[in-house]
Amino acid sequence: MKLLRSFQYQVFLLPILFFYTVFTVYPLIKSFFFSLTNFNGYSKEYDFVGLTNYVKIFKDAAIVSGISYTLLFAISTTILTTLLAIALALVLDRNFYTKNIHRAIFFFPSIPSGLILAYVWGFILSPIGSGVLNTVLHDVFGAGPQPWLSEPMLAKLSTILVAVWAGAGWHAVLYLAFLQGISKDYYEAASIDGANRWQQIRSITLPMLAPAMTISVMLLLTGGLKVFEIPFALTKGGPGFETHTITQVIVLRGISEVQFGLASAMSIVFFLIVLALTYFQVSVMQRREEKML
Amino acid sequence: MTETNRKNWILDILMLPVGLITFFPFYLIIVNTLKTPAETAKSPMSLPTSLNFDNYVRVFKEVPLLQSFGNSLIITVISVLLMVLIGAMAAYPIVFNAGKTNRMIMAYLLAGFLIPFQTTLIPLFELMTQFHLVDKLYGLMFIYMGGSVFVFFLMMGYMKTIPKELPEAAVIDGCTIWGIFWRIIFPLLKPITVTAIIYQTMWVWNDFLAPMLFLNSSDNATLVLQVYKAKGEFAVDWPLFMTLTVIVLIPIFIFFILMQKQIVKGIVGGAVKG
Repeated sequence: MKLLRSFQYQVFLLPILFFYTVFTVYPLIKSFFFSLTNFNGYSKEYDFVGLTNYVKIFKDAAIVSGISYTLLFAISTTILTTLLAIALALVLDRNFYTKNIHRAIFFFPSIPSGLILAYVWGFILSPIGSGVLNTVLHDVFGAGPQPWLSEPMLAKLSTILVAVWAGAGWHAVLYLAFLQGISKDYYEAASIDGANRWQQIRSITLPMLAPAMTISVMLLLTGGLKVFEIPFALTKGGPGFETHTITQVIVLRGISEVQFGLASAMSIVFFLIVLALTYFQVSVMQRREEKML
Repeated sequence: MTETNRKNWILDILMLPVGLITFFPFYLIIVNTLKTPAETAKSPMSLPTSLNFDNYVRVFKEVPLLQSFGNSLIITVISVLLMVLIGAMAAYPIVFNAGKTNRMIMAYLLAGFLIPFQTTLIPLFELMTQFHLVDKLYGLMFIYMGGSVFVFFLMMGYMKTIPKELPEAAVIDGCTIWGIFWRIIFPLLKPITVTAIIYQTMWVWNDFLAPMLFLNSSDNATLVLQVYKAKGEFAVDWPLFMTLTVIVLIPIFIFFILMQKQIVKGIVGGAVKG
């Protein structure tokens, strides 16, 4: 009787186990398998080539560029978004007349698809006549047009700043939720003890935000590593391979050029990067949380 | 404290320019939908000289918007409903029939968080091609089912707050395991179900990578994919492109306005439990 009940419970697991295994776990294992072969996606005949694909990765300029830009993007958007989101949350937590409309405005960019947002920014950053930013620079400062999307350094900067614009409001809302959970008693006690506003932020607010930071930073970092749409829509990965992302490289080498082996090796390296960085970040930040509380 | 209750108008003055800059891109696309390409090239930022809705008429003529809207709607609604159902069902035995096996299954499922979609892309592409699932709306839905692991995670956290006595009492009353889930547990999950639906709807509706790879024909394009395709076609006609963008943004903004309170609550709920 008990066994029958237990069996009935287990049936509820079948759908998720099926979909998750077939569409996530099995492909991951197969990626690993492909990465050791020279499979080109079509011919049934292929050989094991050992770690050749992994060696090739580091000789492929597009791939190396893809890895370094993706890391730069993930780390800098994480830092900038976090700083901005905390500052925004602190401001939006205070009482002022246009508080609600400002909350809505900052949250707005996190609603649409990144692809569409990036196209709109492409219009602003475009070097041609209608490029809004260059028009302003010319009319107000008399400065010549800047190649926002076609000069390597500027293109990297532009894609990162657009991503920060798109994500800061969302993360500010996350911090705001934690801010509102902090009891007013702490602040009252601190102001009786003569602590000024800045001292209160430093020794009450920021430590209490530590758990929110762990989550927010994890989301930003993993999201940043998986980035595709914003650089793809703004620069198509250019100039050259300067703003190529890992995802774009996998699509390019794997699906467009059907080099399944090479692209799979790239996928596995990507998986290891995500695993290592996430583990490192979460363990470091959780230790920090404990120290602060 | 009286200080926090008094409104701080200095903040209004300080935040005004920051808010304006943040909102500026939205202002820009809206005003340019009412202009001609020549007007836009001359003064992209100015307000339009006349209310000219030609671009809107043209976009509806040149892009199969209703069809794409229907595709996006079908894909989103069915994928999200299935994900929520599958995720909620999976949490049920993990929480109420706990044991060594189910702890292992839980760990197996949660490992899915660490597997980026991109890592599985090449084999998925092969799998989808092999089973003729490319360029099929239901094919894309299979791809999204991986998202049920996230729903499972949300549901599991919430389900733990339901007292164990509740299903036990129902068993004594002669209710089956199935009956308990559908009549007692699932209705109690409503708040977290709303959160899960919001998260997954925003993700599936806005996704670009999977539709780009797995939907080829124009008939099957989603709204986001239609914007991508139009970017090439309307290359020099920015006002027309902006008009398409504005139209495509309308459904998701309506969704936002309707769900505003729940969206913020969802972020909070997800964050606190995460």
